[in-house]
Amino acid sequence: MADQEHIEIDTLLDMPAPGRSRTGRAAALARLLHQDCTYLLELYRERESLLSDHTPAGDRIVSLSLSSPDLSSDEQVQLLHSALRKCLGLLECLILREEEEMGELEGEYETVRKGVRDRLGHLLHSTKVLLETEEDVTPDHQCNEEVDGVVGTFGAKMWTYRVLLELIHWANSASQTLHVLHSEREGREDI
Amino acid sequence: MFKAWEIFLYPNPALNFFTTVSRTCLVVLYLGFQTVDGSAGLAPPQQVRLDADKETQTLSVTWEDGHASTFDVEILRTELMEMVLNETVGVTEDQSTGKHQWNWTSPVPLECTSLSVKVRSRDGQDVSEWSSQQILPGLDLPDNTDSQMYPEGKTVPVGSNMTFCCIVEEGQQFGSLWYKDTLVKENMLSRRTYATTMTNQGPSNPSGTNVVCSNEKKMIIAGAVVFVGYPPLPSDLVCETHDLTSVDCQWSKGRDTYLFGMTRQTYYTLNGRNCPKARNSNMRCGLEQWDGNWTLVARNLLGEFRLTDAAELGHRVRPVAPVNLTTPEVYSWNASVGWLWKDKGFERLSLICQVCLSGHQTYTGYGLNTVVLKDLQPDEKYSVKVRCGSQKNFWKWGEWSLPLSFQTKMDRSVAPDIWLWMDSDNLGRVLWKPLTKSESHGQISGYEVILWSPEENSQQTLTLPQSVYSLPINVTDLGSKVTVTVTARNPAGVSLPANVVIPRYLPDAEDTAISKVAFNGSGFPLSWVAHANASCGYVVDWYNTSCTQDCNVEWTRVAADNTNTMVQSGNFFAGVRYTFSLYACSSESTVLLERWHGYMQELVPSRTVLRLSPNQEGADVQLTWDQIPLEHQRGFILGYTVYLTNASHLTLLANITDPQLTNHTVRNLVLGSYKFTVKAYTAAGEDGGATVSISLEPYTYWLIMEILVALGTMTCLLIVITIAFTGFSFSIFTILWKTMPGTGLICVCFQGTLDVKPSPHSMVHIVEDSVWDSSKEALVTVPEEDEEGTGDEAADTDEPASLRYYNQVVEEGSSSQRRPHASDSSASSTGSMDSGHTDVTYTGIQTSACYRPQMQSASCPEEPQTGPEEHLQPPVGSFGGYQPQCSWKQDSPEADGDGLDQTCLGSPTSVTSSQFLLPYDTSEEGKEHPSSASTWFHNLLTGKP
Repeated sequence: MADQEHIEIDTLLDMPAPGRSRTGRAAALARLLHQDCTYLLELYRERESLLSDHTPAGDRIVSLSLSSPDLSSDEQVQLLHSALRKCLGLLECLILREEEEMGELEGEYETVRKGVRDRLGHLLHSTKVLLETEEDVTPDHQCNEEVDGVVGTFGAKMWTYRVLLELIHWANSASQTLHVLHSEREGREDI
Repeated sequence: MFKAWEIFLYPNPALNFFTTVSRTCLVVLYLGFQTVDGSAGLAPPQQVRLDADKETQTLSVTWEDGHASTFDVEILRTELMEMVLNETVGVTEDQSTGKHQWNWTSPVPLECTSLSVKVRSRDGQDVSEWSSQQILPGLDLPDNTDSQMYPEGKTVPVGSNMTFCCIVEEGQQFGSLWYKDTLVKENMLSRRTYATTMTNQGPSNPSGTNVVCSNEKKMIIAGAVVFVGYPPLPSDLVCETHDLTSVDCQWSKGRDTYLFGMTRQTYYTLNGRNCPKARNSNMRCGLEQWDGNWTLVARNLLGEFRLTDAAELGHRVRPVAPVNLTTPEVYSWNASVGWLWKDKGFERLSLICQVCLSGHQTYTGYGLNTVVLKDLQPDEKYSVKVRCGSQKNFWKWGEWSLPLSFQTKMDRSVAPDIWLWMDSDNLGRVLWKPLTKSESHGQISGYEVILWSPEENSQQTLTLPQSVYSLPINVTDLGSKVTVTVTARNPAGVSLPANVVIPRYLPDAEDTAISKVAFNGSGFPLSWVAHANASCGYVVDWYNTSCTQDCNVEWTRVAADNTNTMVQSGNFFAGVRYTFSLYACSSESTVLLERWHGYMQELVPSRTVLRLSPNQEGADVQLTWDQIPLEHQRGFILGYTVYLTNASHLTLLANITDPQLTNHTVRNLVLGSYKFTVKAYTAAGEDGGATVSISLEPYTYWLIMEILVALGTMTCLLIVITIAFTGFSFSIFTILWKTMPGTGLICVCFQGTLDVKPSPHSMVHIVEDSVWDSSKEALVTVPEEDEEGTGDEAADTDEPASLRYYNQVVEEGSSSQRRPHASDSSASSTGSMDSGHTDVTYTGIQTSACYRPQMQSASCPEEPQTGPEEHLQPPVGSFGGYQPQCSWKQDSPEADGDGLDQTCLGSPTSVTSSQFLLPYDTSEEGKEHPSSASTWFHNLLTGKP
């Protein structure tokens, strides 16, 4: 079922779709990314034998807030874009550390992980287009263990766990924010 | 001890003073000895020091001034004062430092909680005082507030036992400990420290095995990863050279270590040089120069393993692949192939090379770089590749070269394989097999067929396209000995001719005996006696025996010195009979030697026997049938089984093992209805069976009653008619005078009918399709399938549908005929029968040749009877059939011995009237004195008194 939805969304995103707005496509992409991130976390928990109700200790890694009432939709997208850049940086750092720790494996987890990285990059490009500015789409994170507070092998795993949760959070935020933006812009166009 | 002494001293009160003094002295003495033996002799260890190696969980305890070689060591968990160790150990003094050192490996990580250590000297039972207590501080002290878990990131062998401890953050509540996804039981080591011990740990996954500590809110507060695996265990190190200079070593990875990543993976060195490319399944490492001895070291965190190999260079040559393959010369049947070597050293080495063409061909030579490929096929595409090895001290084949394709030139094809199939003496077909690619040697453009007769000195030539493989021939005008020659043509020329002399046409069952041959799983094994005139061998052809025209004929040739063959074909089918014919072939003739019939697999017949019918013969019933057509036999018919069918139950009556016998008589049956089933059987079993029914019922009483009634009625009518006839006879006779052609007799025939309708319940019916029987009833049998298919007939009778038997009242001359008798004088009777009515039609009484009683006992010369009819004649005296009411034979004076002419002399006129059929009287009296009624009636008609 989920695979079928993926295909449908991919088709929607790839087609010329004259009636489909940029915001709509970006929102759909964010929704797809959120599904991918959720699945990636599921695979990670399975690999690490972690129970679903076991949560890692620690604060949020990307501490930006979209919930301020003073923020306009465009400002929210701007903030979202920044958060996604940090997420991409964290994900690339995560991949680097895991490959150092375990070598280059080719399991399903690694495949989905690569898919998330690619989609996150695409979403960054989409939000950049929506902002109509020359936003940077490069990863925004210095992969530094001390900065990340990673101590020991288990510490690195907990950091990975937190990064994956962060990805889910921001993919979900992107999905919702872009959906709202899409609704606003569609309404405005209708008028 | 003191009390014992008191008991010993008190008994003598006179010496009380002395005793008191003495006792005081002894006490002082005792105390003095005690000081010298204990405190004064063993000094407690001084300057006890603790050093911890937390990685190995080893605690090193050192002290001075022990002056003993045995010490008691006591280790406690400081916080809960739980004893961890209380052990007497032997430790010798280090002469250089004057210190004692003792190491202890803790099962629990040293970080988990603080340990208190004290030592005392021991000499036998004497011990010193304890040293001052030394404390190894754990990381659960209040100033370390964070949660922690130990040991973290350790790599241990599979099967290890490990204790993990979780130090809970100050102020938090311990929740649980998990090993992978398993909740494990914990031990409290201190206020903040909880530990668990895992035994016999299994291999980890690539990311390691997690041990998780959570608080009461299931939040992960600490954790550790342990990597459980194996030390490396490679095998089969082999080093060789591909270029006569460098070395390439390979080995097997061996057991999986379960350890991954840059830190824990296995690293290899060859003669001390790193092998960075040796990973995953590619276990190989190279060196620039040939050393002759190699040592491979495989190392990971759990240990290392060494492998060695040694060899001379000449013994380990595995050449690289030859390059630049070419074909300098290509012909129809051979070609040459050449190649080059990248490394010049191979040009000076004795090589053995393999050429892969169709199968491997091996060539040898010094510096080999070209070979000639023989036994190639013309007009064939080939792909060739080459690999070589050292001819001297051969080690291994080198790599295959890249393939090279080429095509040989065309050549004339081989002579076609031809055969002749004669449908008759003069007509037949010339057949030849399509030439295969390996036989045609180029694209066949056509065939040429020549028929020539040396006797007639004539020749016919026909050219046919390449798609034709047979030619109808007519050798009517070519004499008795005709030779057929076929040649094939391709761009390279015309093939050699294929000749065959037309064999004599011999259908089955002529001249040659036919044997049976059984299929043996792979084919039909045929063997024969050698024939002198088989100079060009034998030919075995075969075809479907049931086939009548345009049959698919296959053949195979057998060398002259062979007298057996196995006939194989992909066109054999189960249940089909094949005819195999063996011919001896020579340049002069083609002679049929032998024939066989065979089935690839025998099946049960696909249909039942034909025309199964029963004939009642008194108390016996003879069953007759026709054989199953050949195409439906599907196996050699071995015989027939005859069953009595009772409902669905079959009772075997007879097993006829002669397949040629197609009848069987069931004897001594009592009156009643019977069903018989006849089944033909082959080696595969019986067919479905054909079934017939027959009923043997008494009918005489019914018949007599009906006849009596009819007789009475008839008598009355005749009286009336006679009276009337007397008045008008003259005029009628005048009208009816006729001349009988062919006999010269003049007969006056009056023909009339008198129909008497029998009782609807009568069992007497008249049909034309019946067989006269010697018993008192004639029966017609209807096969089961016919019974089911005809409802109309059933509607005409009240009898059960499956049992319809008809009495027969027919003229004698037609008694053996099954079809309606068009020439029967009783035409009206026939019409009545055809109508299907149950009416009994009694034809008029005829005189002279116009009348034939049904059961005359004397033959009529003008109408000779056939054998079967004669056979069916009932014997006089035992006959139970019918006779005319007034017979004109034995009981007629006019008929006695005077022939036909005389029979007509009774009267120049003939009165045709109805006559009744009565059973013959079987009594002597009845024979000699016919019934008065019939006599009277006969006399009445013939004018006799």
